[in-house]
Amino acid sequence: MLNVRICVGTYCYITGGEELAKMKKNLPEDIKDKVEMIGSACLGCHDMEGVAKPPYAKVGDVLIQECTEEKLLDEIYRQLGMERK
Amino acid sequence: MQNKEKLFIEVGSYQNNKHKNIVCGDSVLLRKCTGENRNIAVLSDGLGSGVKANVLSTMTASMAMNFRVRHEPIVRTVQSIMNTLPVDSVRNISYSTFTIVDVDSNGEAKIVEYDNPPLILVRNGKVEEIKGSDTIIHRGDNNANLEERRLKLSDLKLQKEDRIIFFSDGVTQSGIGNMDMPFGWGEAVYDFIEDVLKQNPHISARELSMKIVKQAELNDILRPKDDTSCVVMYVRKPRKLLICTGPPFSETKDKYLAEIVSSYEGKKIVCGGTTSQILSRELKKEITVNIDDIVAGLPPKSEMEGIDLMTEGIITLGALVEILRQGPTTDLSGQGPAWDMLRMILDADIIDLLVGTKINVAHQDPSLPVELEIRRNVVKNIASLLENKFMKDVKMQFI
Repeated sequence: MLNVRICVGTYCYITGGEELAKMKKNLPEDIKDKVEMIGSACLGCHDMEGVAKPPYAKVGDVLIQECTEEKLLDEIYRQLGMERK
Repeated sequence: MQNKEKLFIEVGSYQNNKHKNIVCGDSVLLRKCTGENRNIAVLSDGLGSGVKANVLSTMTASMAMNFRVRHEPIVRTVQSIMNTLPVDSVRNISYSTFTIVDVDSNGEAKIVEYDNPPLILVRNGKVEEIKGSDTIIHRGDNNANLEERRLKLSDLKLQKEDRIIFFSDGVTQSGIGNMDMPFGWGEAVYDFIEDVLKQNPHISARELSMKIVKQAELNDILRPKDDTSCVVMYVRKPRKLLICTGPPFSETKDKYLAEIVSSYEGKKIVCGGTTSQILSRELKKEITVNIDDIVAGLPPKSEMEGIDLMTEGIITLGALVEILRQGPTTDLSGQGPAWDMLRMILDADIIDLLVGTKINVAHQDPSLPVELEIRRNVVKNIASLLENKFMKDVKMQFI
């Protein structure tokens, strides 16, 4: 199972984390059973001001900044070694 | 320091309007004088029903309350009320009933009753009526005017687990004309109260007042014939709630924060992602965040062993302020973390706010909505709302 963590801390939540968290219900069929999607109260990234931007998500050990649904899915498919349809 | 244990008094009230009326002709005012540790409750029933009654009772209740807060003698209070109330054009009298109860933290209660159903004391699960002395007060200083008021004054020494209950005649006269209570509920309400307490000896003041009013509504087959109000004052061991939000100003205090939270005796709420992470790290407990259902547009709740409720910080607290601003409500069916917090707050008497003062640099981005206020301001708002509108004992600690 690939571990995906979505930050739902204040800053991430209002910059797009809400949409990312809602993706859990609508994951594509082919990866649905291969991904474990959970939330995180805070990934502890807001000290990275100036270096990176929210929202943050973690796929495995890879941190994604300014995460979008596209970016997240790309990274999941990449780590699963699957072709994205 | 006083070594005698201070009594805690929970005050709860519930009201119901006469069928088809949009305002209540009864007024209930509750006030906590924090400096003097007094709880004052006033119930007034205005003549008739509807807007006219509402105006009369609101005037009576707020005058009674304000005179009482300033320790004015009762004779003066009542004379002022009598002289101020407008004379009813139909019935040609200026009239509204009232009950004033003033309890200090030693349990000394001063009670003034005028024409409401008798106030009752519930001790050891048994209802007792209180013996008081009658005082007659004339309108104005010259006794030429024949209009007079007969008041009942009484003093009481309350003990732990005592309850004072008083209501408007909408309660005792409910069900009038029914087969099983042709003359209304009357003193059968005492049996009802005793039954409820037998089933649930520690029922909160809020719930008990609601139960009594709801039953009165049922007696009238859901079409109340009069405005119905009930106030319960319950002396008991306080229930404590800790609301912990925000990381400490200095990281060296993280341990201290964790210690306060883990050793707190009572329910615990933690608001804030960073705060949660600190506790998780210091107490070595995992946090799980449930993102399956996101309700009310608020970030989802988290779970951690030993914490009763864990939420996001400033957005959730902001939503809580919005709910609190509307004042005590009877509809508690709202969903989402802010409502969960409200329900826990309502069940608590003493609320400890533990506030970390570290400024979250990430929130200072000007492109973010203004609702992301500084935590200290939001918490201060919550504290004053809880004290003034919800009669809670609030203590704040900043770290």
